[in-house]
Amino acid sequence: MPLLTVNQLDKTVDNNHILKNIDFQISKGEVIVVIGPSGSGKTTFISNLNFLNNADKGEMNFRDKKIDLSSPKKDDVLWVRRHIAMVFQNYNLFKNKTALENITEGLIHGQGKSRDEANQIALEELKNVGLSEKKDAYPSQLSGGQKQRIGIARATALKPDIILFDEPTSALDPELVGTVVQDMDHLAQQGQTMIVVTHLMSFAKKVATKVLFFADGAILESGTPDQIFNHPKEKRTKEFLSAIAEDR
Amino acid sequence: MDFHFMIDSLPKLISVIPMTIYISVVSVIVGFALAAIIAIIREKKIKVLSQIFAVLVSFVRGTPILVQLYVIYYGLPQFLYYLQNQGVNVKPGSLPHLVIAISAYSLNAAANLSETIRSAYHSVDKDQYQAALSVGMTPSLSMRRIVIPQLIPNLIPNFSNFFLDLIKDTALVYNIGIIEIMAKSNIIASFGFKYLETYLDALLLYLVICFVFGKILSLTETYVTRRVFSGKTHSVIKKTPQVDETEAKVGGN
Repeated sequence: MPLLTVNQLDKTVDNNHILKNIDFQISKGEVIVVIGPSGSGKTTFISNLNFLNNADKGEMNFRDKKIDLSSPKKDDVLWVRRHIAMVFQNYNLFKNKTALENITEGLIHGQGKSRDEANQIALEELKNVGLSEKKDAYPSQLSGGQKQRIGIARATALKPDIILFDEPTSALDPELVGTVVQDMDHLAQQGQTMIVVTHLMSFAKKVATKVLFFADGAILESGTPDQIFNHPKEKRTKEFLSAIAEDR
Repeated sequence: MDFHFMIDSLPKLISVIPMTIYISVVSVIVGFALAAIIAIIREKKIKVLSQIFAVLVSFVRGTPILVQLYVIYYGLPQFLYYLQNQGVNVKPGSLPHLVIAISAYSLNAAANLSETIRSAYHSVDKDQYQAALSVGMTPSLSMRRIVIPQLIPNLIPNFSNFFLDLIKDTALVYNIGIIEIMAKSNIIASFGFKYLETYLDALLLYLVICFVFGKILSLTETYVTRRVFSGKTHSVIKKTPQVDETEAKVGGN
């Protein structure tokens, strides 16, 4: 039984057909990795899953609730966002909040938890990513790697059904990628349902239960990591895989 | 050059400083409140109103404040007479000049500050708003807790520039008979034709007023920026330390 199903997701911006009737589903505990060339619609796709972008057409079925993706109700949008968290490429930590507050904001003002409870959860999450001592630091006082790990802590603190990762390591220096991947790996092992847009092929091979190859706004090919990386069917997939450097 | 006259005139000019400050402060407060409304309407692209305000802002910013002052000075009473003729209970004849001056300067401030607010709003990374939405906050909470606190430090420098200009522009209200620094200078100077001496006094007073307000606003800007982005309030001079990436990596593990 899928946790989330998306049917016929379609989006056009200025005559540019960005997403072409995408059908997608994910079950609890799955880690789906989305790969593909730049501009293929990967980020737009996952942004649509928590309504940071609006689709022109499509339907979502999440936890047995049907939601129209083109004109969702405000309450449904809030409900989905409270159950599907997101980790951004450029971290997007709140610049006016400390590391601790970055985590508690969503707990208090999104989920209605008390400040004490939120603080307790946030401290635990910071401990999990090894940044307890940075709880009072502002984003300007943190490195890229630390910011992204707090971004992950902010998402996991919400105990979401699904976490969306939008190229979480792309903005990091190569030597800082490892710690972030470690955190994501750890989450996957704990059974966290994840959709990850990434160019880290080693992560996809190791952790993904399924890989989607996006090209020109459509899912051109999908399958297990072995099917996609070792036996790709489509010419475009083969070209993409041979063109990208391993774990840039 | 009559230095005695200059020194003797100074206390008389100082006595009308409150009027200059009163017009400036009240106008900027009223103008800022209106500017916030205009900025919201224009950013939300509310139909008709957005277009009307866009034209109004462009009109006010493209015309001299002195002309606006005259238009309101002659136009507002006529408008009130029109309302009176329509049966509305207003008394056009008793409209104080101060109200006319504050109306003109508030309107000017509203138009100019609405653009200042919009530019400060656009200076905040759009991703900050999206991140707030992504953790389940409502759009209004995302604005109040994340976007607005971040736009304030960016707002203050342009606000300061405008406010200092406004203080200097209040020198024009003597044209409609309000006694502030400039009007008082004209009155004092006319006794004995000591124009240079009195205007030098006026120059000095405007300089002092603008320096004091400029300093207050500059300290406020530094304080607010530090408070918002690093939570520090004790020193307004020391810079926020930046973490070295490699050092942070070691610390983060």
